[in-house]
Amino acid sequence: MQQGSYAPPPAHSPPLHHPVPQHVSTVPMMRSPPPPQSQGGSNYGSPYGQMGGPAQQSGGGGPFAPAFGGFVNDQTAQMGFQVGQKAVMAGQEYMEQSINRYVSIPALKHYFNVSTPYVLRKILLVLFPWRHKPWSREQRPSSTAPDPSAPNTAYSYYFLPPRDDLNSPDMYIPVMAFVTYILLSTLLAGLRGAFHPEVMGLTATAAFAVVAVEILGLKFGTYILSISNDSQLLDLVAYSGYKFVGVIVTLVVAEILNRGKGTGGWVGWTVFTYTFLANAFFLLRSLKYVLLPDSSSTPAGGMQTVDRAQRNRRTQFLFLYSYVVQFVFMWVLSRQDSATATVVGIKT
Amino acid sequence: MMLFGLGNLFYVSILLVNAVAVLSEDRFLARIGWGNAPTEPSFGGSSDAASVKGKMINLISSVRTLMRIPLIVINTLVIVYELVLG
Repeated sequence: MQQGSYAPPPAHSPPLHHPVPQHVSTVPMMRSPPPPQSQGGSNYGSPYGQMGGPAQQSGGGGPFAPAFGGFVNDQTAQMGFQVGQKAVMAGQEYMEQSINRYVSIPALKHYFNVSTPYVLRKILLVLFPWRHKPWSREQRPSSTAPDPSAPNTAYSYYFLPPRDDLNSPDMYIPVMAFVTYILLSTLLAGLRGAFHPEVMGLTATAAFAVVAVEILGLKFGTYILSISNDSQLLDLVAYSGYKFVGVIVTLVVAEILNRGKGTGGWVGWTVFTYTFLANAFFLLRSLKYVLLPDSSSTPAGGMQTVDRAQRNRRTQFLFLYSYVVQFVFMWVLSRQDSATATVVGIKT
Repeated sequence: MMLFGLGNLFYVSILLVNAVAVLSEDRFLARIGWGNAPTEPSFGGSSDAASVKGKMINLISSVRTLMRIPLIVINTLVIVYELVLG
């Protein structure tokens, strides 16, 4: 990289006067190049250039040696510094690329673009979805206002972020509800006198496994039914996290009303049934736009038309997912605390 | 009552993939009509690959082809682990 002006090597043999460079210890591996160094390459402006000279003044041997030695070390230090910088930058770029390949960061940022009124209204919507009327997500042509937060999506229309659109899925509520669920079930176990440090890990693992199983099942279903949509996986992850809100409400209300008897009894079952129905209705309405893409919105082509039987199957799959599967998983999650309590109680 | 954790999830998925991978092509799958042999295209029915059955057949043959070598390694590791520590 320093192909500019090479000077002939100095007349006196370099190894004799080559000082032992003890002060430049930043990049030891770059000390090996032999003396033919470029003299025109000192325009890098590196702070090492000023460091090398005066430190070498004291340790030099002959009249030429201090300048020469300082110059050599200056060059090697600069080169090493640059090589190191480039290596680090290349490594960072590689890491970013390989992270972006699996989880695209801009797409994730889109999901966390929330505001406080949105969060409140969304939680109310999850808990009381019956009167909500327009369920479709708002779209905006990307030509007029290119979205900086999701530049690599292949939409001709892009969806508004959750801050502006109530029907848009976000990741904030699911993530917070996930964490809150873990802490809450641990707290309930503690109130019951059955706290154990393992409870937290067990609950977290079970909740994570529930989400993983759900995502796997959904991906399998979309593969079988050949539903294709852009950025679908993150939408599904977001939607599968909303049930933690209902589970948390069930746990809290049942705990208060039942006075620490767990989520059994008719109170617990009533609350659970209500939250389950609300969540299922919410998912049914919301996922309709993910799993049942409108044939009218897709570009008019002969291959895009979904025949009637296929659409029927998709509707059945949607219903099965949002009622049956959600029932099983919400029941599992809301029974979790008493289950861990019994496990720990047996163990201790 | 503690239902499932990630370890059990791992075991379940390995067992399921094993169950798909041991299906014999000519002894079982061809007999029930799920063989990988290309079915003759009927009139206008070129959308065989889009149907549910076509997808399942495609998935099974893909798993059988792709996961054979990794499954040997994974199964060996799990067996050794279970023998030593289980």
